[in-house]
Amino acid sequence: MTEATTTIENKTGIHARPASLFVQTASKFKSKVQIKAKGKTVDAKSILMIMSMGLVKGTEITISADGPDEADAVSTLKELVDAKFNEE
Amino acid sequence: MADKIKGKGVISGIAVGTILLAGQNLDGYLVNYKPGKLDAEKKKAAAALVEVAEGMKKSIDDFNSKGLKEQAAILEAHRMIIEDPALSGAIDEKLNECGSAPKAVLDAAEVNAQIFESMEDEVFRGRAVDIRDVGKRIAKFLLGIKEPEIAGKVIVAGKEIEPSVIAGLPTDKIAGVILGAGSTTAHAVIIAKTRAIPTVVGVGKGIEQMADGDPAILDGGTGDILIRPSAEERASYDEKIKKQEELKAYYATLKTLPAKTLDGVEVDLVANIGSPADVDAANGFGAQGVGLFRSEFVFMGKTDVPKEEDQFKEYKAAVEKCNGNLCVIRTMDIGGDKPLPYIQVGAEENPFLGYRAIRISLKREDLFMPQLKAILRAGKFGKAAIMFPMVINVQEFLDAKAMVEKAKRELAAEGKDYSDDVQVGIMVETPAAAVMTPILAKYVDFFSIGTNDLVQYTLAVDRGNAQISYLYNHFNPAVLRLIKRTIESANKEGKWAGMCGEMASDPCAAILLMAMGIKELSMSAPSIPRVKEVIRKITSTEAKNILDKVMEMEDGDKIKDYLATLTF
Repeated sequence: MTEATTTIENKTGIHARPASLFVQTASKFKSKVQIKAKGKTVDAKSILMIMSMGLVKGTEITISADGPDEADAVSTLKELVDAKFNEE
Repeated sequence: MADKIKGKGVISGIAVGTILLAGQNLDGYLVNYKPGKLDAEKKKAAAALVEVAEGMKKSIDDFNSKGLKEQAAILEAHRMIIEDPALSGAIDEKLNECGSAPKAVLDAAEVNAQIFESMEDEVFRGRAVDIRDVGKRIAKFLLGIKEPEIAGKVIVAGKEIEPSVIAGLPTDKIAGVILGAGSTTAHAVIIAKTRAIPTVVGVGKGIEQMADGDPAILDGGTGDILIRPSAEERASYDEKIKKQEELKAYYATLKTLPAKTLDGVEVDLVANIGSPADVDAANGFGAQGVGLFRSEFVFMGKTDVPKEEDQFKEYKAAVEKCNGNLCVIRTMDIGGDKPLPYIQVGAEENPFLGYRAIRISLKREDLFMPQLKAILRAGKFGKAAIMFPMVINVQEFLDAKAMVEKAKRELAAEGKDYSDDVQVGIMVETPAAAVMTPILAKYVDFFSIGTNDLVQYTLAVDRGNAQISYLYNHFNPAVLRLIKRTIESANKEGKWAGMCGEMASDPCAAILLMAMGIKELSMSAPSIPRVKEVIRKITSTEAKNILDKVMEMEDGDKIKDYLATLTF
């Protein structure tokens, strides 16, 4: 399993467009991908579950992946979050 | 004998059609649904998810190919929800409990919707509607309920009707609208108004007496509704319908005539629009341009800040359709009541007194600049004007005006064509702005009085609150004084004043406003012929006398009563 921790920095947090972008990206990988935040862990390929976490700006999240392309999945998703979803 | 229901008629006209219920209740179907074995139900539910998602893909492609990007984006979001593992997981769980596929789908959607509804962030909360919508769509598929096919004309009825329901149906298919809620300024009603669809509101539980497909007659003038009328009852409306047709024909003869009094005082009658397509309908009613282009549609349903290029196309289309007449484009007038993903307003106790409209535009150059540039560029294709909403002081206007100048400099540097001859004015819709009009008039090119908000803010009356709606009156003397002051301030500085609120479509108000010296009245286009008819029947001296009398009166209700005794 590969893990990486980062902080959400884009103004709008993860909802609507950022969430769908995150899910679309996560779904490209074969590995099981999860997000851990605020003491909860959810499936990163589910837009409902990600959005229901209410990840606003400043929340610390841990992205983890388990499977054949886990390293690539974690680094790609972390990059997406760190690039503020190319929003700003 | 028909079931008779009485409501409040808000858009006049007789409508004959079959009832189409919005916000359909599936309970009846669920009771009659006979579920199979658990495994079979699970397979059925899983297959339904795939089928519905596939069906949506077709609609999405269809919308995209027709350039309906907003509708496509909404459906795309719905499709992602359908394909979400969290939804299918919840459906499986619910199936174990109840054993019925359609019920499990609805329950699962409800659980997810409630999670969103309980969230603090308004944007997150708004998604609950989408999730329920998706649940219903799948459940209907499982229950074998087809989306109603619209054969003839329909009367859309519902306790509340989402604006998208009316906007989504072809205009020529909607004969009438019945709303259970009482608001005359609900968005569904505003849309009905621009399309002249006879509408009755405030029927409350009366909605429950109707079923899909019931034949019905609606009188938008009196508020009478007949459900399943007999042949005689139907015939009794023939005369009224005939008169309606005659009036329509008479109004058509006014189309090309000016709105000029018998002694030659002329007022421009122009249209309020929500999209470029509305200009065509407005021209059909004889509008001499556009006094209020609500640019919100450019912003709604988008996940990102709308691009300058996209906005330019829309504004250019509207400006061109105005055929050389002025097209006044209002900059973004959105706040916490209509949250958007790219505008973070957050939870507010009073969105209408909160972070909205020009207050957002001035802080968010990334939003404001593309809009200003797009309007300035559209100005090259006719006559455009920029109007700022919600202004309360001189500084806001000066700051906004400075942004317009900056936009021009940037356009020049980018080598893009733009018009230097674009008027810049404000909506006068706050009491503060109305009081300050003698000063503001030195800086602006024009005022446009937005009475819906001006009345609301001046009288501290929420226009949507049925308990106090009796206080909402644009003839209230306090309101009339603010309007008079605004018009006189403009004229004194050689600027012009217009009006773009509901009041402008009231023929009695038109007389008063003309006597005050207003130059332009902007309204939903179907109201233009009636206002024009009245203006063409009086002299400016008569109008002045009526105004003098009204300004001496002390009570808004008495003013209303007095004006109702005048016949034109």
